[in-house]
Amino acid sequence: MHVPDGFLSPQVCLPAYAACAPLWAWAARRHLGRDAVETLPVVGTLTALAFVVQTIAIPVPGGTSTHLVGVTLLALLYHPLLAFACQSLVLLVQALFFGAGGVTVLGVNALAMGLLGPLAGWLAWRGLRPLFPRAALFVAGWLSTQAATLGVAGALALQHRLDPAYFPVPPAATLAAMGLPSLAVAGVVEGLFTTFALALVRKARFRGVEA
Amino acid sequence: MRFRAHASIARALLAVAWLAPAAARAHQATHEVARGSAIAVRALEDGQGMAGAAWQVFSPSDAARPHQQGLTDTHGWLAFVPDAPGAWRVRVVEEDGHGLDVLVEAGPTAAVPTPRPAGWQRSAVGVVAVAAAFVVLFVTYRRRPRA
Repeated sequence: MHVPDGFLSPQVCLPAYAACAPLWAWAARRHLGRDAVETLPVVGTLTALAFVVQTIAIPVPGGTSTHLVGVTLLALLYHPLLAFACQSLVLLVQALFFGAGGVTVLGVNALAMGLLGPLAGWLAWRGLRPLFPRAALFVAGWLSTQAATLGVAGALALQHRLDPAYFPVPPAATLAAMGLPSLAVAGVVEGLFTTFALALVRKARFRGVEA
Repeated sequence: MRFRAHASIARALLAVAWLAPAAARAHQATHEVARGSAIAVRALEDGQGMAGAAWQVFSPSDAARPHQQGLTDTHGWLAFVPDAPGAWRVRVVEEDGHGLDVLVEAGPTAAVPTPRPAGWQRSAVGVVAVAAAFVVLFVTYRRRPRA
């Protein structure tokens, strides 16, 4: 799902960084500051878990593959802004150590996978939880994948419109190539992961996690 | 008289036969095989070759105009023949936004790139890096109580 370095121009990357900077500062102050010291072990463990699930390739018909994101769990347990900060850290490690994604496109990837996805999942969960508590978790995971996919596809479509030399594939082809695996495979697996992982975390009764 | 005419025809035929190979180049398609002069790059996504993906190669002297372009083969391979040493930019773009944009060194002193770590190594390094960031935060807050 990551956009690699070189696929987006500075016209897209710089505004994304400008949007991310205050959100990173806000998230760090509110959710990773001194007041949050009790939750740091659990948040760190779930961030590491998100890193691991993002390295697991899920085969998709047609020869390609997809992967989970895994940070919607953090949005549901704590706050979407914390999920954004943690996903940004995961993306930074992937870019610096393994060349996955990239530093220039970090802002775009963080906004799509770290903010849009978890925020959509969190909103769906808040809305559906009173009516269908268990289904709300699955829908949150599924919807977060669709929102993240739309965010990445939107950035690539914008780039194609601004300068196709950076990304030559037309938006309709990109949306079809990304959307179908996301709707049918990645979203379903993310929904199941969110449901079961949250049940396990609640059962473990970690410090700082609501039962 | 008749013998002289035959001799002239024979001389003319000999001249044509002698000149023909040189003149015959006009519509001749030839080929040459140079082994070891091309650079082959395999584009991989999660260990699988990116089959049928669009690719472009840019020479070190012209970053704007592709030196060569095409589609990867069924195993994700592409190949090009560099005409100058230096860092050649290789871009592979898949429809779903996956792909790569890398520099490939060409020339007699070009270094072979080191292979990327395997999946479990990536997971292990990533977990350690993420954990280290949180441990640093945790220890810092614990050691310095609020003023």
